Amino acid sequence: MLIRALLFSGIGLLSGCQQPGMDFDFDKALSIAQKARQANQSIAEPEEISMGSGIAANLLGASPLLADDRVQQYVNQVGRWVSLHTERPDLPWQFGILASTDVNAFATPGGTIFITRGLLQRLDNESELAGVLAHEMVHVLRKHHLAALQKGARLGIASDLLGEALKDENNQVLEKAVKAGTEVYARGLDKEDEFEADRMGIVIATRAGYDPFGLPAVLQMLEAGNAQDSSLALMFKTHPAPRDRLGLLDKLMGNRFDDYTAPTQTDKRFNSEVSQHL
Amino acid sequence: MLACLAAPACAEQPAYTVRSTEIKQQPFSDAATVARLNENAGVNIVTRRGGWVRITSKAGNGWVRMLSLRGSSTATRRGDSGLQSLFNVGRSGSSGITVATGVRGLSEEDLKNAQPDTRELEKLQNYAVNKARAERFARDAKLKPRKLDYLPPGGNS
Repeated sequence: MLIRALLFSGIGLLSGCQQPGMDFDFDKALSIAQKARQANQSIAEPEEISMGSGIAANLLGASPLLADDRVQQYVNQVGRWVSLHTERPDLPWQFGILASTDVNAFATPGGTIFITRGLLQRLDNESELAGVLAHEMVHVLRKHHLAALQKGARLGIASDLLGEALKDENNQVLEKAVKAGTEVYARGLDKEDEFEADRMGIVIATRAGYDPFGLPAVLQMLEAGNAQDSSLALMFKTHPAPRDRLGLLDKLMGNRFDDYTAPTQTDKRFNSEVSQHL
Repeated sequence: MLACLAAPACAEQPAYTVRSTEIKQQPFSDAATVARLNENAGVNIVTRRGGWVRITSKAGNGWVRMLSLRGSSTATRRGDSGLQSLFNVGRSGSSGITVATGVRGLSEEDLKNAQPDTRELEKLQNYAVNKARAERFARDAKLKPRKLDYLPPGGNS
């Protein structure tokens, strides 16, 4: 609380407090405030990528990849194409289908995106897949997981996450960050970050030539899902209700996406690579 | 086409309108109007095309805007397995089939206790494709890039 107050009031106010009789340790407070301020700075890209790889390795420890080269390649091609329509096209984007029958998708910092077999099997066409991947890409573009990690109770780790510490030969800081980072996936991101990922994701998928309604269609499919279904449990717990997400997209999209459709070739391709194949 | 090919498992998906909305003969806003649905009217979704869904209702059958509908909750009527038939709605091919055996591994606990699997990570890296390949893949399906700005958060622009 103290830290937050200091952050908002800024250093100027702190200097104003520098007077005899003040009832807290000024130097200590200043140093914490500075650390906290620094923690809000962005982590450099190489560190972002190595942290993301560490988290990806952990997620793969929870569920291995689906052992199917053909469909893995297919998803990578869709994803890499979509990624070219983001503001970070040169990240080392890579995509993996997790063997899990759970319905979910994940992004790790630096450009690794996972979709579960359970979700992929419930999709109907390439535009829906593009919509899901684009939503996940926004978490990377906007660094939502890094923000979640840097926020709140994990201030100690957050300040260690500064470039210099992460660059250390000694990997302890990175390890700590990766462990804390993986826990974010069990907790979920900020609701607003999920809404932002929907809002930007539909635009990215549309830029790549897909049907803008791919992601909304997936949300409508999820909405019809049973809240008691255990394969949806974590996804429902860590995301705003599909109904609320659809409500926001409804307001945003209006009729201005009506003229965009996806080429029918993408439907055929999805059908042979996923629907008939998996 | 997203026709309901998966008969006989082809159930219709119940939904309701969140506002008064027109039922159109075709999935276009300038198509002829078949009937008008009041807010909170029950419909059944048969299939989807772009931002439109084909519905059946007491008021009439035709196309309505997908986002003027919300799915009716099914939790009270179906158990765990009920989901599968819902996922089959309007879904072609074999994608509606739920595999009987499979890895779960993604519960909250699983994620908290996960240990890194570097061999799987290596495999993942080998699946990555370069830009040129992605561009070729897009051309193969006639996907054309479009210029489009992000939407403002509030939805008013």
